[in-house]
Amino acid sequence: MNAPAGLDLASIPDRIQSEVQRAIQRSIKGVEYFSTSGPSLGSTPKDILHVRGTMNLYHYRPVEDEIYRVPILIVMATTNRGYILDMVPGQSFIEFLLKRGYDVYMLDWAAPKPEEKGLRMEDYVLDFIPDCIRRVQQDSGETDVTVIGYCFGGVLSLLYGSIFADGPMKNLICFTTPIDFREMKLFQNFADKRYFDVDRLIDSVGNVPPEMILSSFEMLRPASRAASQVQLWENIWNDEFVKSYRMFDRWATDTLPLAGEYFRDITKDLMWDNKLYNGTMSVGGRLADIADIKVPILHAVAEHDHIVPYDAAKPLIAKVGSTDKEEVMLKGGHVSLVAGANAIRRLWPKLDSWLGGRSI
Amino acid sequence: MADNSNDPLALWQKMIGEMEKGFNTFANQAMASPQFSKVMNQAGGVTAGAQKQLGELMEKYLVSMNLPSRAQMIGMAERLQSIEGQLNEIKVLLLQMNAISGMTQDSVAAAPKPPRTRRPPPSPPGEQK
Repeated sequence: MNAPAGLDLASIPDRIQSEVQRAIQRSIKGVEYFSTSGPSLGSTPKDILHVRGTMNLYHYRPVEDEIYRVPILIVMATTNRGYILDMVPGQSFIEFLLKRGYDVYMLDWAAPKPEEKGLRMEDYVLDFIPDCIRRVQQDSGETDVTVIGYCFGGVLSLLYGSIFADGPMKNLICFTTPIDFREMKLFQNFADKRYFDVDRLIDSVGNVPPEMILSSFEMLRPASRAASQVQLWENIWNDEFVKSYRMFDRWATDTLPLAGEYFRDITKDLMWDNKLYNGTMSVGGRLADIADIKVPILHAVAEHDHIVPYDAAKPLIAKVGSTDKEEVMLKGGHVSLVAGANAIRRLWPKLDSWLGGRSI
Repeated sequence: MADNSNDPLALWQKMIGEMEKGFNTFANQAMASPQFSKVMNQAGGVTAGAQKQLGELMEKYLVSMNLPSRAQMIGMAERLQSIEGQLNEIKVLLLQMNAISGMTQDSVAAAPKPPRTRRPPPSPPGEQK
């Protein structure tokens, strides 16, 4: 009997041995997996500068003897925790920035409490961000601040930058930031005005529960969770794979609730009326047109982003009023853009080379 | 490059990958329809309504059992939060005072701040930013 093309008969015993060893390892590591916690995340040394309700402002301790003049304020997405940018040593954007000599602050969010359901877009844009900027200025002794917004943190940063166009924001970096919400096709359909009664939802639940936010993200790729669990089982003998799986899985499922009124604002102004794209957005009665932003801006987008499709993020650079502006597109998805292997190899160094000269 | 066309493990992994892609594409197409939105939001509306009624019922039950009401717990949480906030403010002030007075401690936070004089490394010749 002839062996099928491509099958090396001599390698079969080795292959069987290797598979048996992996099967044994799977059993041992499988028990370990359930009996241990994952790696410790977000462990870069930091100080809490200010806490107020849902808002947390951290200052990461500089590690270099000489740092850039302009401090950085990172504005996290309101749906997720900031440790995606500070996973573990060697895979931490924060650690990278510190080692390249930046002074880094982060505006991270805690779950809004039931009594915070009344927080509106204006609380985030006209109160929380300006408050953090003031505290960064005070702590660093510098007037200028570079703002980095991740995902919806980018939207908040754009709104802030539009309204406070005269400063003190010196540079703006956005990661995967949507501005044309018509192009978020599935989210658009989930929030179809004809069937989605946002008023009834918010009046019933107060804050939008994290399970609802997580489900809506998972529904974009409904088979992926099951497939990733199969992959985990296949690779459970591989410590590096398991570590990475646990880090990203923990972060992805650690979703935050959204303040009810804030969610109502997002649904009506952005999802239904697409006001940010149309230049008609107003926050607390103040017009927020991104054409008013004149500072240098860098927008990093992911080629295979299923949460913020490229078409939703693409108009940002065209619409801002800055002359010094650039878009960088990288392979990868919404999360791997900022925290995956490609981020370490390409995005972070690119960001450093862009920002260094603009931080003096 | 090794030929994996007959490797059962490689075939299995490929099959899982293809199934995932196929199912996601199929589900995305189905979820893009107005009918899906209608059914999903009807179901969501019923759940939210039921949740609200259950919450109100629980509130009444707790009051009748002489247990702290939700409002009282929220009040306590607010007070704790305010105490937590004040403690953080005190901590920051202490660290600042410590730094100003030049006291040496193990805390890195109290260490003098590095000078803000850093400049980017020069670009290699011929490279444009």
